[in-house]
Amino acid sequence: MKGLRGVSRAGLSSLFCAVGEGTFLLKKELSLVESIKIGLKSCKDFVNNAKEVNKLKLFKKKEPVYKPPKKTFREKMVDVYHYRWFYLMFLPVAVSLFVFHYIPMYGIYYAFTDYTPFKEPTFVGWANFEYLFSASRFWQAFRNTIQLSTVHLILGMVCSVGLALLINEISNLKFRKVVQTVVYLPHFISWVVVASIFTLFLSPQSGFVNAIISSLGGTPIYFLASEKWWRICFYILNVWKETGWGTIIYIAALSGVDQEMYEAATIDGAGHLQKVRYISIPAISVTILTVFILNLSKVLNLFDSVFVLQNDSVIKTSDVIGTYVYRLGITSADYGTSTAAGLFKSVISLALITFANWLSNRIKGEGILG
Amino acid sequence: MMVEHLSFKKGKRSRFTFVVFNYLFLTFLVVVMLIPIWKVIVDSIDPTSVGIRLWPKQFSLTAYVNILTRKSLYQPFLVSVYTTIMSTFVGLLMTTLAAYVILQKEIPGRGLMIAYIMFTMLFSGGMIPTYLTYKNLGLINNLWAIILPAGLSTYNIVLMRSFFESIPSTLYEAAELDGCTPLQTFYKIVLPLSKAALASVGLFIAVGAWNSYMPYILYITDTNKINFQVKVRDMILQDGLSGSSITANDDMLKSAAVIVTIFPFLIIYPFCQKYFTKGVTVGAVKG
Repeated sequence: MKGLRGVSRAGLSSLFCAVGEGTFLLKKELSLVESIKIGLKSCKDFVNNAKEVNKLKLFKKKEPVYKPPKKTFREKMVDVYHYRWFYLMFLPVAVSLFVFHYIPMYGIYYAFTDYTPFKEPTFVGWANFEYLFSASRFWQAFRNTIQLSTVHLILGMVCSVGLALLINEISNLKFRKVVQTVVYLPHFISWVVVASIFTLFLSPQSGFVNAIISSLGGTPIYFLASEKWWRICFYILNVWKETGWGTIIYIAALSGVDQEMYEAATIDGAGHLQKVRYISIPAISVTILTVFILNLSKVLNLFDSVFVLQNDSVIKTSDVIGTYVYRLGITSADYGTSTAAGLFKSVISLALITFANWLSNRIKGEGILG
Repeated sequence: MMVEHLSFKKGKRSRFTFVVFNYLFLTFLVVVMLIPIWKVIVDSIDPTSVGIRLWPKQFSLTAYVNILTRKSLYQPFLVSVYTTIMSTFVGLLMTTLAAYVILQKEIPGRGLMIAYIMFTMLFSGGMIPTYLTYKNLGLINNLWAIILPAGLSTYNIVLMRSFFESIPSTLYEAAELDGCTPLQTFYKIVLPLSKAALASVGLFIAVGAWNSYMPYILYITDTNKINFQVKVRDMILQDGLSGSSITANDDMLKSAAVIVTIFPFLIIYPFCQKYFTKGVTVGAVKG
């Protein structure tokens, strides 16, 4: 815990730089491999920074823990008998997880087959992956996924932290309650309904935004069907929906800050902004890092929000891996190739989660996986 | 030294300016955030509302009458209510059971059970294999294939475990000494002590189930079994919704449909907000 104050200052900024640099380079049409290389280098810098600042041992050996002597088989069976009711309680969960999560995993096999509704799956080896990696549509979806989720991840965090700091300054409890109630609200409106609300709100014929534009003398813009505006709309909608919800965790962290620190700072002559800069922000840096790591592992899982906002005229800028898989697998019924694309995504996701867990373990001392 | 330059060292007046600015800004933000929803409400009750106007000039409930008397909406509404109730009930039952079992520190195979649960969070078959599996198992058009996964999420199990961990373990020991079976301990000690947790997780499941959309798109082809969200979305994407009705135009009907979809939530939300918040902060402790 203690060491993280340092990470926040030196390390976090370089991590953000790393991610920012990565997206910038992606835009500049550098090859993906090169930008990943640069991103990795920046990450290394981040880790080194963290090591230096906190004297963290990133590859420390685990200290030996006391382990009770091993039980004999007979003793184990006595334990099992003792807990027999618990196994019965676990049974429905186990069965349900098995049917809805583990059996579908067997279907990964289809990634290596040629499979459509009209013919039985036949084994084709890596052919589906070869096809995917040569398809420009797939790489486009991949790049879009990275860009959309990185920008929305960083934008969302910056807005949430800022809003949390502002809400934390409010001393009138009633006003505070009202603000919190309102900003949390959009989180509970499903993406479908959000899409419906904004289809009406941004509509070129009767929508509110376009009415303002026309009354100012401009020509109406079809926001959700314009390649230029779609991404901006996507980011704004994400901020609208999730920023408020994201503040909860920071507000909780801020309310845990010892008030004496602020008093001491006042006595030392610190101004208001200085208190925010040197007490509040360092105090929530651990939380910021946790949220960042957690979200990092979910970067590729972009689907619902894009799916309901997407339409044919913006497919180029909005297609992500999730929607690509959907169109290929459900609409075109090419089960083999779409499973392969999904598997590619799952494997990268798994790698990201493992990386996030490792990062969390080394920096915070505990993993994200409970 | 930028920071010092910017700081409000100079006494109470600048502090006052900041506070006023802060209140004004947050008020502005709240208003801006509410405008899209407010505009939909206004559009749904005012047949003449177009464009910029944010205050209704006329008041008429014809759009709501039109929506609520559509026979084609009754079945989806019932499906939504049914799946929401079942998901919440079954989901809470299984979540609490799983959390209670993995709470037992000494149970043989505990690591295995935790791994069994956690692995579903790490890796999944993906959309298409899941779809194909459901198809091969005959689960397409079966509402249970939506109810069970909606209720049982790994994240909720972890959340519930964090809640349970805050109950002092001496209570369990006392119950066991007094001769409680594990099931008795569960419903006489654990459940009554974690009402807030049950409310929190239950509300999350309920909202998720009510808002469910993708599973219906993927696994339901029978029009008798689609839920309210899917039906309303279809309606909104349609043109010529108003048909022969002269009193309610298309936009008005669409707006009314949106409001009807979020209405149940808007009613319970102010009373349940603290439970939602609690769920997030407890989960955050564990990370």
